[in-house]
This record gives sequence, structure tokens and C-alpha cells, in this order.
Amino acid sequence: MMSPTTLIRRIAPALACIGLLAIWQVASLVLKNDSFPTAIEAIKAIPDILSDRESLINILASLRRMAMGFGAAVLFSIPLGLLMGRSRAVAAFFNPLLMVIYPVPKAALMPIIMLWLGVGDVTKTLVIFLGVSLPVIYHSFEGAKGVEEKMLWSGAAMGLSPLQRLVRIVLPAALPEILTGCRTGLVLALITMITSEMIARQSGAGNILFNALDMGQYDTVFAMIIVVGAMGICLDAIFERIRARLVRWSEPQFDMPLSFS
Amino acid sequence: MKVVPSRSSEWVRPVTPQKPASAIIEIDGVSQVFQTSAHKDHVALSDISLTIDEGAFVSILGPSGCGKSTLLYIVGGFVRPTSGVAKIKGAAIIAPGPDRGPVFQEFALFPWKTVLGNVMYGPRQQGVRAAEADAQSRSLIEMVGLKGYENFYPKELSGGMKQRVALARTLAYHPEVLLMDEPFGALDAHTRTRLQNDLLNIWERDRKTVLFVTHSVDEAVFLSDKVVMMSKSPGRIRHVIDIDLPRPRRRNELLLDPRYQKYVVDIERMFDESDGAGFPA
Repeated sequence: MMSPTTLIRRIAPALACIGLLAIWQVASLVLKNDSFPTAIEAIKAIPDILSDRESLINILASLRRMAMGFGAAVLFSIPLGLLMGRSRAVAAFFNPLLMVIYPVPKAALMPIIMLWLGVGDVTKTLVIFLGVSLPVIYHSFEGAKGVEEKMLWSGAAMGLSPLQRLVRIVLPAALPEILTGCRTGLVLALITMITSEMIARQSGAGNILFNALDMGQYDTVFAMIIVVGAMGICLDAIFERIRARLVRWSEPQFDMPLSFS
Repeated sequence: MKVVPSRSSEWVRPVTPQKPASAIIEIDGVSQVFQTSAHKDHVALSDISLTIDEGAFVSILGPSGCGKSTLLYIVGGFVRPTSGVAKIKGAAIIAPGPDRGPVFQEFALFPWKTVLGNVMYGPRQQGVRAAEADAQSRSLIEMVGLKGYENFYPKELSGGMKQRVALARTLAYHPEVLLMDEPFGALDAHTRTRLQNDLLNIWERDRKTVLFVTHSVDEAVFLSDKVVMMSKSPGRIRHVIDIDLPRPRRRNELLLDPRYQKYVVDIERMFDESDGAGFPA
């Protein structure tokens, strides 16, 4: 038997989605604007997109670039962030560089990168890489900085070398924080993916969206927005599952200690 | 044929007579100065010299801020002294090593490892095979009274249990010297008493050298063979008192023992005299 509160908690996300769609539907009917299709029209356009071979190839190409950009960023940013967190010299060197890059919208760099590397996959992947890197570096840095000194001393007494301490103590100890950064990075990867395809129209989910916009197919535009949103929710849910499994040891359900001396 | 002169005198080292208690740790003129601001220095330790015999349980007792933990960290190799030298078995200490096992007040367990994983960590690092390390660690966990908790994560344990795991984790790699930094300082009175008793029971089995930092006079007298009294600003050794009480020590017997009571009272008075400020602070 499910208690009423549990039941409400379970169906709350579905209620929120239905509520949003209902408001959209009503607003669209009231406003009667050509560029604002109803929710039902937009939803009806989704199967057309997903059954079209061309569109699927576009979407998969987007996902591939996103995965590559995200993966490369994680592989690069975690070691850098950890090193910065444990070495003042490394932090002092990289901090100003990152501070310069941080406020710059990564998509704003795209025209320049396009001049160098063309409008293909490399440019878009690089922009995604840049977008993902900063939050991952920052959270890895914070996580590594927060590692308890005595934990490292304990490792040193067991005979772990500085590199071993970084990989086998700092990395796992900072993992909850690192994964928080990766989760932010994942959402940013999706955003930069769409933006990059808006600027360099050639292929991808963003390409479908903005081409439809140019041609005034507003139901397709809104259908793509739903598709991209759904992709974001799915990716985040998958990531959250992996994250929860990796840092089970730090989860709050363990916060209540046993009473025993 | 070439006649090789006898070189036996060079091959055979003269046998040095084994002293009944040989020094394992020598601290020689150690000072530690921290720079608190651009032109202000804080002298944490001033010219400390101390010898610790193998197999002895030695407590360093003093008010907070007297540098007693710093002294322990220097022996551990975690902190380099500003001047002077600490030695283990005659070799200068320049880095941490598995011959000196720390147990910290903060436990410093690896939270991503289970109890068993924490205890096995040291032996595995030392190259002990997994099956062997597993068996040894399980028996150590049983010895510290945590049988049945092998697969728990540190977060699921109380402070006392965590400190038991920390002790087992350090004992697991067989350090020659245990360095205990106010290990029971974060625990409630009841838990603290139980852990003191259990530590003594464990220690009385194999008599490892222990350097134990505390600010509790009772704790120091109850556990130690020798109490090193320190005063603060700058951290100096005031007195070194041998605690001549029989072992094995049982708490309920010892608390009624007038000799124990006299040690406690004497030490407290010595602190009052040397500091004026009184002790414990």
C-alpha cells in the first residue's frame, strides 16, 4: 500500500508536465498567433520528425558530437581540476586563464573557430568541449581542495606516492563534487550543441529546428523543442542513475549513524 | 698463488650489547615556527628533545596550542621541523612511512570504502595478496569489536565505531610505532572510556610503541608508561614522569589505587604551578 504522500510524490512530475501542456494549449488558443501552435499540434508533429530518416540522422549526429565533446571535456577537466585543487602553483597558473574564458559565451567563439577549423564536426565538438570544461574543472578543483589533509596523510603513511594519492584518494574523495560538475556540464553540452548548430547550420537537431523556423513550420519548431527537452531529461536521468550508484557511500540516507560505541 | 690476507675482522661486526630498552624514536632539538603573518612568527615548538623506548606507551600531555600534535606530525613525517631532527631507529625522518601509523582525532577514514575496504587498504598497498589481506583484516575488525560491520560504510557508523575502524586500519599494516593524535577527543565520555579500555587490552597483547597525544590527565596516566608534560607559547617539555603502575591495568582497580590518584593530582598541580593559568584550560 502506498501512502497518499508517496503517491503524490510519484505522480508529481507527470502532473507538472500535463499542467504545462494544458497552460500552453489554452494560451495558444487564446492568443491565436500563427507562430504559436497549440500543444496538441506540436505533439502531433513529433512522430513525423522521429519517423523521418533524415531527421534521425541529424539528431544522432548531434548526440555523437555532444558525447565526444562531453567525454573529451571530462577526461581533460577532471585531472586538471584535481591538480589545481592540490597544487597552489598549478592553480595560480591556470586560474587567471580560466577567469578570462569563464564569462565569454562559448558560442561567441564559434565564428572564429569556424574560420580556423571549418563548419564541420570539429568546430562544434570543440565548442561543446569548451562549454562543458569549465564547470567540471571548477567542481573538480573545489572537490580536490576540500579533501581532508589527514586522509592524505593516512595514505602517505601506507606508502602511497603523490600520484597514487591523487588518483586513489583525491579522485574518489572528490567524486561527489566532480559528478555535480559533470551534471551541470551535461546540460551545458546540450545547450552548446544546439547553439553551435544554430550558428553553423549544416546538420543536427538544431539544424532541423532553425530550418523549420526559417520556413515557418512552427509546429515542427515546437515539436523539436519538446524533443530536445526530452533528450535533456533522459540524459540527466541516466546520468543521475550512474551518479547515485558511484557515490552511494556519500548519500544522505546513510546520514543516520547507528548507536553503538 | 696469491695469499689473501684475512679480512675476517672486517666481515664480522662487533656485537653491541642489546640494552634492555632501546630507543626507537629520538627527537633532537626540534623547533617549529609558523609564520602567522608577514612579520609575526608563532613558535609552536621550542627545542624539544625526547627519546622514546621501543615498546613504551608514551603520552604527550598539554593544553591546546602547546604544539603537542605538531610534535606528533613531525615524528609522522607529515610536517618538517623548522630546525632539529627526529629519528626513527637512527634514521632521520623526512617523509611518512608504514613504520609509523597515525590515528587521528578526525578518523580520516576513506568514506568510499567499506569498513573492510578501509582496513585492507594498507596491506593491499604493501603488496599482501587479496585473500590474505581479507582474512587478516577480518580478524582485526573482530579484535576491535566490529564483527558484523565489515560491509558498512564509514558514514553509517558512530564516532566510536569510526575510531575503532581507524585503529584497525592502522594496525593492519603493522607499523612499528602508533601515532595517536587525540584519538578519543571527539568522543563522548562513555565511548571514550570504552575505547581506552579496549586500546589498552589490544596494546597489552603486542606492546607496540605508542606515542599518544592528549589533553586529559586521567587518560594519560591510565594508559601510559611515561607522561611528557608540555607547556605552551612556546611549546616546551616541562616534565617527564614515569608512571609506575602495574599492568595489565584494569580501570575499576586503578581508579581506586592511591598511586594512580597521586599521579593525577601531582600532574594537575604541576600544570597549575608551571602555567599559573591552570589546567585543563
